[in-house]
Amino acid sequence: MSSASPQPEEAAAAAGSPSEFLKNIVGKRVKVRIGSGVDYHGLLTCLDGYMNVALEETEEWANGRKTAEYGDCFLRGNNVLYISALEDL
Amino acid sequence: MASTILPLELVDRCIGSPIWVLMKNEREFTGTLMGFDDYVNMVLKDVKEYEVTPEGITETELGQTLLNGNNIAMLIPGGKGPKA
Repeated sequence: MSSASPQPEEAAAAAGSPSEFLKNIVGKRVKVRIGSGVDYHGLLTCLDGYMNVALEETEEWANGRKTAEYGDCFLRGNNVLYISALEDL
Repeated sequence: MASTILPLELVDRCIGSPIWVLMKNEREFTGTLMGFDDYVNMVLKDVKEYEVTPEGITETELGQTLLNGNNIAMLIPGGKGPKA
């Protein structure tokens, strides 16, 4: 982490930041919640800076119940509320 | 009069500490702030998600999470969440 911060954004763009998180989370099992509150649990294949997400072995959970299963799943990033790790990174 | 502080600087000072995030809708998060970017997408750990409804508050625990900045409305450093 950089020291004295005339540009606080620089300090933030170090270890804990979103880009770091995204690098570390590929290949892990994640929960992606979209704006409607529906969850997708799956293996994160890849994602980009728009939070577009590709998942494998996906389960769709709505209202606390599994509603679907998908082999491959693509989620458009504008819908994503959060991406959360289901296992330790 | 106190010296001026920029909003993003305030958020940056909060890295490593608990923070309470309120969304534009009836949803809130608490957790430890790991980092954020220019869009205020936030990385949190030891996260609790709160859904606030007339019936009550639903609490969910999450691991390390990237929260999309699109829907974030307010940040409260050191905040303990709606149930504290």
